[in-house]
Amino acid sequence: MTEKSDKQGKLWELFSSMKLGLALLGIIAFVAAIGTFFPQISQEPDKARAVGQVWQALGFTHLYSTVWFRLSLGLLSLNLIVCSVQRFSGIYRRTFKPLPPESAAGVPRKIRAEIEAAVPVLRQAVERVMPAMGYRLTTADKEEMWTFVGMRHRWGNWGSVVTHLSFVVLLVGALLGSALGFRGYFMAAAGEVVPIQQIQIEKGKVSEDFSVRINSAEDRFLPNGERDNWYTDLSILESGKEVGRQTISVNHPFTYRGITFYQASFANGARFTADIKGQKIPVMLQDQGGNYFQAPGTDLYLIVAAMQGGSGQAAVMFQVYKGQGSQPVQTGQLTVGERADVQGQYQLTFDGSTAFTGLQVKRDPGVWVIWLGSALLLVGLMLSFYWSPRIVSGVLEMRSAGQGKLILGLATGKSGGSRHADFDALVGTLKERLTSEMATEEELQ
Amino acid sequence: MNSGLTNLETSMFYLTIMAYFLSMIFYWVWFGFKQQVIGQFATLLAIVGLAGNTTAVVLRTIIAGRPPLSNGYEFILTFCWGIVAVYLFAEFRYRIKPLGAFVAPLPFLLLAYIVMKMGPEERVAQAIPPALKSQWLTFHVITAILSYGAFAVSFGLGMMYLLKSHYGGGASGKASSRIPDLEVLDELAYKMVGFAFPFLTLCIITGAIWANYAWGTYWSWDPKETWSLITWIIYAGYLHARLMYGWKGKRAAWMAVFGFVAVLFTFFGVNYFLPGLHSYAQI
Ligand code: HEM
Repeated sequence: MTEKSDKQGKLWELFSSMKLGLALLGIIAFVAAIGTFFPQISQEPDKARAVGQVWQALGFTHLYSTVWFRLSLGLLSLNLIVCSVQRFSGIYRRTFKPLPPESAAGVPRKIRAEIEAAVPVLRQAVERVMPAMGYRLTTADKEEMWTFVGMRHRWGNWGSVVTHLSFVVLLVGALLGSALGFRGYFMAAAGEVVPIQQIQIEKGKVSEDFSVRINSAEDRFLPNGERDNWYTDLSILESGKEVGRQTISVNHPFTYRGITFYQASFANGARFTADIKGQKIPVMLQDQGGNYFQAPGTDLYLIVAAMQGGSGQAAVMFQVYKGQGSQPVQTGQLTVGERADVQGQYQLTFDGSTAFTGLQVKRDPGVWVIWLGSALLLVGLMLSFYWSPRIVSGVLEMRSAGQGKLILGLATGKSGGSRHADFDALVGTLKERLTSEMATEEELQ
Repeated sequence: MNSGLTNLETSMFYLTIMAYFLSMIFYWVWFGFKQQVIGQFATLLAIVGLAGNTTAVVLRTIIAGRPPLSNGYEFILTFCWGIVAVYLFAEFRYRIKPLGAFVAPLPFLLLAYIVMKMGPEERVAQAIPPALKSQWLTFHVITAILSYGAFAVSFGLGMMYLLKSHYGGGASGKASSRIPDLEVLDELAYKMVGFAFPFLTLCIITGAIWANYAWGTYWSWDPKETWSLITWIIYAGYLHARLMYGWKGKRAAWMAVFGFVAVLFTFFGVNYFLPGLHSYAQI
């Protein structure tokens, strides 16, 4: 062997070993656990930024997206692929080309039974009973001997391969999502039109170009006073034309051209008109300072500090801040239709209450791959644990005078034998059949 | 009428905890003295407790108008149901009554925890936020209960194994001789884990589907998710070590015990020590 192929061989061996796989799994579990004791940027950005600089630099506050963590996931899937490839042909043979034993020595010893009767009767019993009980038979005629192997649940052989590869599929799905998808968020009031290009993006890039109009947003309650859900009626606009419309709520998203809108939050708000030197600007502000309005040409910031009452007799308390100042330079209260002068710069009219809806926006082309991987994972586990193969092999030895001895045994898996019941049932049925056949033969004689 | 149902539910809760408590005591006494009648009483009490538990769960469903799976009280109540249901199944199917002495304390302690730590306001049927209004959540929690129940039973088997192998079948081991053969325990614990593992997987997957509907992210590494993954990896390790290295006996028993500790940490520890999306579960 050349040095190179020797090295390759060693590498292959390393990656086909379950030791490496288990070590990687252990490392992944350990690192994942550490990550739960540190605030993560993706979950609690504020707390995460308060953690010591050293920890942040080492990646403890974004553990799950560090190169090292991803590398270990990558190595794990490489490991899984290599060991699946390596075991493939063996499993294929075991499933589709099982070999009957060469001799009685090849019949499993631990769980065994022996039956004696006339050769043709025994053979016929095996050939009839085993298929009837779901065993697929493969037989071979040898000198002085007839041998067979029967298998039930043969697809169970594929359980581990399917399970292992499903993990790789899941990883591919996650990669697709982060490479080709995006995640964003926007909050908008009823009546607003938001171009999809202008939403706040957390991850990825938006390449689509359409707009979303919020027709209405509602915080709906049940007759018993409990919150029902938040509802947003939204339209999709392509070059100003409505091409889709849907009412969404929490747990009931809407997808348009691969982009999904999720109802995420809700806030009450107020509608104003700002009159700046004759120019009327509509302004919508969320309750409790959720957003602000900076009048053009000024350094005045307007917020709604509190709101009160239903649509009819609503009232707002507003505050005005100047520049960097942390104390309001003006506070005031308005009821519907009332007007206030803001620092001599503009006139503010309160038009009534409105609702703001917060929508999570997401494109994830990998999500179907994730569901496929999940399905494969479940199928693989089902095959492994609820469909383990049962393999019964045996030989029929011919003795003198047409008498034969049937020796059959059950192969016990690595997990240990607990499938005696099946085997006992098989042997029982075989014996029953033999006695009834002998009885009929006697009758005939 | 509603307050009548609520009172009935509360009575059922106390009936359940009493029955589980007495059942535990009877399993212990039976374990020590092997009076057949006492053993029968222990099982009977467990059945009574399960009936009370079932009734409480059903009443809560009627009162709340939704599956009772939305706060700590409700989840513990159903968790106990899962443990006892799986346990009784194992007792009847595998004729392994001594297991009761090890498993029965779990539902009792869990319910006692409710009594000690939760005020009445934490136990009532509360309004749930819109995010929890999902069919997937129901599947998510049902699968969790089945797998956690079976893991609890494998924990009991693991403890029995360790106890028996420590004290041996020697002269001192009068009670220990009542425990089935080590091999039987080991095999049964494996069966339980083998039953539970696909359900844990399904639990994680249905959780991911739900999260994807609710928030648009199927996996966000929040501590509860992460710990359920860690639990999953521990049990995957158990299964592999057994298949490939023939890890049976003591080491497997330790892993079954350890795995259930991870289950409990996922369940309680995360809510206490770690923040996250699931913190609204507020146990
Ligand atoms: C990456 C490291 C892994 C390696 C190298 C590995 C390797 C193996 C091997 C060699 C078997 C024995 C199969 C047999 O004897 O037929 C096996 C079985 C199994 N593995 Fe893995 N595995 C790994 C990770 C995983 C993971 C992450 C899972 C997820 C649950 C998993 C699930 C299973 C199951 C369920 C079986 C049982 C197969 C059976 O009973 O036939 N493995 N694995």
